[in-house]
Amino acid sequence: MIRFSVLDVSFFSTHYASAADLLAGNEREPTQPAYALLVGRARRFTSLLTQLHIEVCGALAPEGKEDQLAVFATSHGEIQTAEAMIKGIRQRTVSGARFALSVHNTASGLHSVATGNHAPTTTVTGKNAVAAGWLEAALTALANERTVLLSIADEPVPDLFQADAAKFGVAAAFLLGPRNAGGRAAELAIAPGADADIEPAPVLARAIDSWTGTSHDAIDLGPIQPGKRLSLRFAERS
Amino acid sequence: MTRHAITATALANCLGTDNKAVFDNAFAGHEAFVPGSTYCELPFPTSLGIMPATKAEPGLVPTRIATVASASIRQLVPGVRAAIERWGADRIAYVFASSTGGLDNSERALTPFPEDPKLPYQYANHWIDASSIAIARYLGVTGIRMALSTACSSSFKALASAIRLIDQGLADAAVVGSADTLCRTTIFGFHSLGLLAPTPTRPFSRERCGITLGEGSAYALVERDAKQSALAWILGMGAASDAHHHTSPHPDGIGPIRCMRQALEQAAIGPDRIDYVSAHGTATPANDSVEAAAVRRMFERRVPITATKSLTGHTLGSAGLTALILAIESLKRQQITPSLRASPLDESLDVTVVGEARKARIEHVLVNAFGFGGSNASVVVAS
Repeated sequence: MIRFSVLDVSFFSTHYASAADLLAGNEREPTQPAYALLVGRARRFTSLLTQLHIEVCGALAPEGKEDQLAVFATSHGEIQTAEAMIKGIRQRTVSGARFALSVHNTASGLHSVATGNHAPTTTVTGKNAVAAGWLEAALTALANERTVLLSIADEPVPDLFQADAAKFGVAAAFLLGPRNAGGRAAELAIAPGADADIEPAPVLARAIDSWTGTSHDAIDLGPIQPGKRLSLRFAERS
Repeated sequence: MTRHAITATALANCLGTDNKAVFDNAFAGHEAFVPGSTYCELPFPTSLGIMPATKAEPGLVPTRIATVASASIRQLVPGVRAAIERWGADRIAYVFASSTGGLDNSERALTPFPEDPKLPYQYANHWIDASSIAIARYLGVTGIRMALSTACSSSFKALASAIRLIDQGLADAAVVGSADTLCRTTIFGFHSLGLLAPTPTRPFSRERCGITLGEGSAYALVERDAKQSALAWILGMGAASDAHHHTSPHPDGIGPIRCMRQALEQAAIGPDRIDYVSAHGTATPANDSVEAAAVRRMFERRVPITATKSLTGHTLGSAGLTALILAIESLKRQQITPSLRASPLDESLDVTVVGEARKARIEHVLVNAFGFGGSNASVVVAS
């Protein structure tokens, strides 16, 4: 059992106004993030994925901006930029600006520049990015006894890739801290379970809804090792 | 951070498909780069580091990255088996890193050039961790599995995550792996940024003009403790963000200085104890200039520097771990790998570059890996 604190949360989806709306299936008109942390030239060529990360990170007010540890997580990475580059290859050219912003840690890099943050950041990815992102962030908070900004986001995967993935953008940020750091006490647990993948959007919405509400039901974050799954549970509000 | 044992390593890149070939060729200063047209038709000149032909291990997805990883993982089997005996399979994590993942496969399958063979396509093979389940199964490890991608610092971030899993009691050992392949997107992309060298890369040379891309895989088995079988020890790691520009280094080297200092502090040794620095050394004018200045400021002496990318090419996400494993071999051989084509040296950098392999008393090496996003990481490794 890994025990820590979650001090604050934020949520954004292009198609749902809130985590509760996503869970209830109440869609809104597609809405783009404002990503106000990025100004001027920094806004150019940014993908929806980066905008989503920046939006939810900006909605939180991390303490000590110049030294804020951060973990970013994304299953698909900069997949819309990848599509543009792959199409460009047909003309045997790739935009330098687009290529520079194609790496999985684009959002973390732009966020560190925007906030003047020199602390290390990392980017977790892959099929179990939600579970691994939570684990990485919680362990980082405990190892450093400091707050860690966790931002999890994905943009829709273009049709070119023939993927089975959400058709809307979703992002959630959580400010984690060591045990008894305030906010809500939380714990991660690893328990036997099937290896089936999760659908990230509703899992993120459940985590937000649980933190803001009163629920202390376990939230399945998905596989973390063969035959075992990671779950998140918030303690009852005291 | 307590020290952690590296008990097995595996490398595959343009120098060879097993450790012996890679090490022998590296210390001999073997020139392994080939014209870029060997890989595909290109409208500009460049050199590339292409891995010699090898086969993917059975059970892995049929992609180039799986083939590149296969050359490493087959070398790792004896070490991992011994670790399973020591700790149990479910106490050994698998942490993988890559910058491009299956991008090569997607571009060849979805937008093939006329000369490309028709390839089957599955989106599942595009993911950074597309091979992770199969490789973990192949190695017989069933611990925590995760993947990271932070451009050219990726493999050091994976190493840091693996060590965190061990330190926090969630694993006793971890297979840390990285692989990146050549692909048209990176070749054209680096060229568009003006960072791709038309001729073989020349780190720290007055005539340096950019990166030579390479493909390769690098794997290391890191354990909580293994006095009998340790090849080397990770004494400290550091990481920092430039917070300056997405692709250009901070002119004052803030990120590199921070992460080198942190690695030395964790290792609890002074800069005077580092016998040489294995530089990130991409050979772009700005990167080498900033790194050289950061090393000068950090060490306050002309500590010997080598740049392994002059041997292997820039293997992107695998670059850090590749340089680290070569440093581990240098601890064993008591010899520093050469930094090829550094002459004529850029005297304005005021650094001592090891131009030819040379014997030296080596106890501690500091290895750097920097990447897009201002992502910097350093590791101190010792015998």
